[in-house]
Amino acid sequence: MINEFKDVVEHPARSVRLAMEKTGKKAVGCFPIYTPDELIHAAGAIPVGMWGGPEMGNLSDKYYQTFCCSVVKANTHQALRGDYDHLSAVLVTAYCDTLKCTIENWKVAVPHLNVIPVVYPQNRKLEAGKQFLIEEFQRIRGELERVLETEITDEAIEQSFALYEAYRKAMRTFVDVAGNYPGLIDATSRHAIIKAAYFMDKEEYLEKLNALLNELAAIPAEEHTHKKVIITGLLAEPDEFLDLFAENSLVIVADDLAQESRQFRVQAVQEGDALSRMARRIADQDGCSFLYDDEKSRGAMLLDMKNRYGADGIIYCQLKFCDPEEFDYPIIKREMEEAGVPLLYIEIEQQMDSVEQLRTRIQTFAEIL
Amino acid sequence: MYLGVDIGSSSSKAVILDGKGQVVGQAVINIGTGSRGPQKVIEEALTQAGIARADIKKTVVTGYGRMTFEGADKQITEISCHAKGVSAVAPEARTIIDIGGQDAKVISIDENGNVKNFVMNEKCAAGTGRFLEVMGRVLDTTIDGLSDMAERGEDGVTISSTCTVFAESEMISQLAAGKKIEDVALGAHKSIAQRVAGLVNRIGISPKVVLSGGVALNESVIKALEKELGYDIIRLKSPQTMGALGAAMYARALEQNGAES
Repeated sequence: MINEFKDVVEHPARSVRLAMEKTGKKAVGCFPIYTPDELIHAAGAIPVGMWGGPEMGNLSDKYYQTFCCSVVKANTHQALRGDYDHLSAVLVTAYCDTLKCTIENWKVAVPHLNVIPVVYPQNRKLEAGKQFLIEEFQRIRGELERVLETEITDEAIEQSFALYEAYRKAMRTFVDVAGNYPGLIDATSRHAIIKAAYFMDKEEYLEKLNALLNELAAIPAEEHTHKKVIITGLLAEPDEFLDLFAENSLVIVADDLAQESRQFRVQAVQEGDALSRMARRIADQDGCSFLYDDEKSRGAMLLDMKNRYGADGIIYCQLKFCDPEEFDYPIIKREMEEAGVPLLYIEIEQQMDSVEQLRTRIQTFAEIL
Repeated sequence: MYLGVDIGSSSSKAVILDGKGQVVGQAVINIGTGSRGPQKVIEEALTQAGIARADIKKTVVTGYGRMTFEGADKQITEISCHAKGVSAVAPEARTIIDIGGQDAKVISIDENGNVKNFVMNEKCAAGTGRFLEVMGRVLDTTIDGLSDMAERGEDGVTISSTCTVFAESEMISQLAAGKKIEDVALGAHKSIAQRVAGLVNRIGISPKVVLSGGVALNESVIKALEKELGYDIIRLKSPQTMGALGAAMYARALEQNGAES
């Protein structure tokens, strides 16, 4: 079953096309992170995660400087190559300068992809911020209705939101138990299981995940001597990097990755309609480098996670040139030093062929632990 | 007898310890991983110790080529091995700067030689031995020759580029502008010291400071670093073999304790 998830992640374009054929649905691309996928689902389409890829190419050089992150450049390269032509629209967020430029660049570079910007309020916890976000969701709803030539009813949004809440709850259960099985679910498998959700129809994915969780429930936790780590950052890829965890007897007991747990760790409040609950979920999301946080609570959150999961150390996975993550690092570094928590900083690229330097870092960290 | 082998990107080192932990053989060969260097350096160290390979009870391999070396009982990173080796010869050291062929590392250690924290160069070869090799080539000399030239320099030129290739063209421009070759050589050493100091600042410096790795043989780099950091640097007799020494110490511990201490 784990191999099925891996297969989806290894062939994302094929997986999305397959899901479109099976369901007869259209598909909409979603840049990282926190796009309102529920609205796409409510429109009867499949939200597709756009998380770069192993090939950055050079087509994007026309639009970006060398110091822009590889996720955006890889997405752009793929878009220019026609890889996303099966998408009806693309939601592009505006968290950093590179993403902001992407919204404008793509309107020119790939106009047929119907770029829909998604702007999050800086003061997301204020009532005015929540209201702004609800109105933003309404605007996106209208854009999706126009592009997908359909009506998105309130009822459909409520149903999609309920499905996504079920999905997020199942994901929280999965990441909680995955650390009990370092042999069965190594770092690479853990990542594939989570990431497959971006390329599958949500109902089918949830069904498969629940089946996996049922199987796991029948398997006793593995006895192991692995050191327990928490990973934090935008993402932790490629597989060659994740393979180093098993190689050095490290098990990921929890993550604070934008691509993984940040997507589903916040449970929605019960009151209000779906759009206000979606806005409230963003307001309640703390410790994320992409959302303004005047409390700078990420360090305290990581320390709490460390204690809760009995972790031995934390690995800060810095995607090269990801500004929001770079801004957070000095604060996290100081707080972890003060708390005496081992912290490893590593720079990664999705397109890394050689991981020798990373091997030395990960192995040394394991030796320190 | 216990063998420690350190296979770097540009040199191979071996140290043999006897049962009491005394060094009975050590060798350095200036070719590294992917070559016959590791084999040759082991043969040389064995000859020096007057023993055969079969007399080696445990072997620990470290360095960039550690994963491809066959016949070791354990692979340990060069960071842990440098820490162990340096703490044996300079117990007062708390910060180790290891400048190797293609990477630079700063290691913070405790009084037992355990690694507390470390940083490595991230994006490029600035601040590594390769930088000096490239600059030596521009001035038609070796790394040692570059060091001698820098010793005679009076007013080192400023090389602002972090990128090794841009720095190379900057040096050529300085020469074309009529700067003295000795001042350009001194500028290259200042540049590497600045890059390494940047790395040191990321982890924080605790005296005393030791420079290990092949580049530590270069007195001009040590002087430039002392000036940049504002701390004296302990000179080691054999800075190149600290990783291999640490590996040999780990090998001895493997045999004696059956542990990985």
